[in-house]
Amino acid sequence: MSSDLLVVQNLRKKFGGLKAVGGDSGLSFQVKEGSFVGMIGPNGAGKSTVFNLISGVLEPTAGRVMLAGTDLANVRSSDIASLSLGRTFQTPRSFLSLSVLDNVLVGAKSSGEELRSVLLGGWRSSEPALVEKAKAALTRVGLEDRVAETVSNLSGGELRMLEVARQLIRDPKILLLDEPTAGVDPSLQGKLSKILVDLHKEGRTLIVVEHNLHFLFSIADQIIVLQQGELLSSGTPPEIKTDPKVVAAYLGDEHAA
Amino acid sequence: MNFEQLLLTVLTYGCLYSVMTVCLNLQYARGGMINFGTVAYFAAGAYAYAIFTQEPPQGLDQYLFGFNAPWWIGFIAAGVASLLFAVITGWPTLRLRGEYLALTTFAFAEVLHSFLLNERRIGNGSVGLSNVDRPDFSVIGLSENYAFVLAAVLLLILTSLLCRRILASPYGRAVDAVRNDEVAAEAIGKDVHRLRFEIFVISAIPIGFAGALYAMITTLVSPDLFTAEVTFFVWIALVLGGEHTIKGVILGTLALVTFEEVVRSLHFETVRAAEIAASVEHMMTGVIFVMILRWQPFTRFATRGREA
Repeated sequence: MSSDLLVVQNLRKKFGGLKAVGGDSGLSFQVKEGSFVGMIGPNGAGKSTVFNLISGVLEPTAGRVMLAGTDLANVRSSDIASLSLGRTFQTPRSFLSLSVLDNVLVGAKSSGEELRSVLLGGWRSSEPALVEKAKAALTRVGLEDRVAETVSNLSGGELRMLEVARQLIRDPKILLLDEPTAGVDPSLQGKLSKILVDLHKEGRTLIVVEHNLHFLFSIADQIIVLQQGELLSSGTPPEIKTDPKVVAAYLGDEHAA
Repeated sequence: MNFEQLLLTVLTYGCLYSVMTVCLNLQYARGGMINFGTVAYFAAGAYAYAIFTQEPPQGLDQYLFGFNAPWWIGFIAAGVASLLFAVITGWPTLRLRGEYLALTTFAFAEVLHSFLLNERRIGNGSVGLSNVDRPDFSVIGLSENYAFVLAAVLLLILTSLLCRRILASPYGRAVDAVRNDEVAAEAIGKDVHRLRFEIFVISAIPIGFAGALYAMITTLVSPDLFTAEVTFFVWIALVLGGEHTIKGVILGTLALVTFEEVVRSLHFETVRAAEIAASVEHMMTGVIFVMILRWQPFTRFATRGREA
């Protein structure tokens, strides 16, 4: 039986006077465990802001977010991440002074991040297994030849894949991906699509913000449409494609069934 | 000053200051924290050593505490004092970024300086504490000069090894990640505040030990010795050394100390000659700084072979 893993209730976020998310009434939606949710909407609809509110980068003005029954109010973003939530960013973020391999390795929870373990040297035994795991993640996203390089050598699309690899090694239960295919070439897009389908099959919950609708409609099982920070519509891809409100506001005639 | 004496002085002070630059390198180049109050941790160590090892007050002494403890207890106390001062100053300030942290740490150091200057019951005020106890080196058969060089070199080696051990581990990786991008580091579950705080505190401990050694060598601790000049000196050394590598910052510090000591050891026949030499020294210092920053010899030496 699948239950709601993520519950967003009356969520609102204001930047100064601007109602970025939730309008007056608040944004509410639920995501069932193991589902694949696509989040779409015009530019400025508040999709990334919703991600930032869920992952604790921003604090909501009102409303609440529950993850696996835990209220995330006043929980720090690093602690939310430790609750098995992974996310990528709209503009890829990477650690410039670290190598490609270290950029993935740093995602892993290592005993070597405790000062005691560092001083006593106890972390060394677990490191080779993590390195293998990181290399496997890099192979999965097609960056196996770039392991030893510096991050500055990677292209925009490769940086996105690197972010995905960093999340893969963390093994999160719920993964929030912000425009994962933007700037990614078709062959890598194919790889990414396979990774997302596999992750979904493994029982992970995915929420993906995406403008590439062919990509999203072919793999998602639920679509949430936002407009000006409010929920415009929600349903399965065929329902969304035929929803006149969505067609008028966002899809245009091309995607209409 | 003969050559041997010059070498010993350069090595002793060079290593003591290098301990500070290596720790500063950990805090700034890797941890991303600008600490403009370095001298305060040095002073905390020096004063703690003096207070723990000195005789209880008598006669005209204005200080209240003197525990007459053996040198090694004073030495440990110096590390603990520096650590405590780092905890007190780090806890409320480490949420600050960049220049705000720089200003706050600078202010803390000035407060400590002012406190030591005006509060006679701790360190005898502006007079300071003199005749600071030295360990007895006769048991290992070394003259005091050589023993202090050895102690300073040893402290520098241990500090460098500690920093290397921290930075070459997953811990160092996480610290680098936090400096590169805090938001992204938090998104993979890194506790940014804990990492920054721990790096800040642990790097203060060797600075405290260096302070204790400094107090043993000079046998005097007074507020005059611990001004912001010390902080600026180690920052300049860090910049000369090119940050980022432990070897580089040690070379930068040794070069700066050597330059100062060589200039100080020159003799002049007339006052006029000394005045001219003093002016030339400032110009030379400037030219040398520009040359080092332009060609970065210490950084190149420290990272040679790494690109291949």
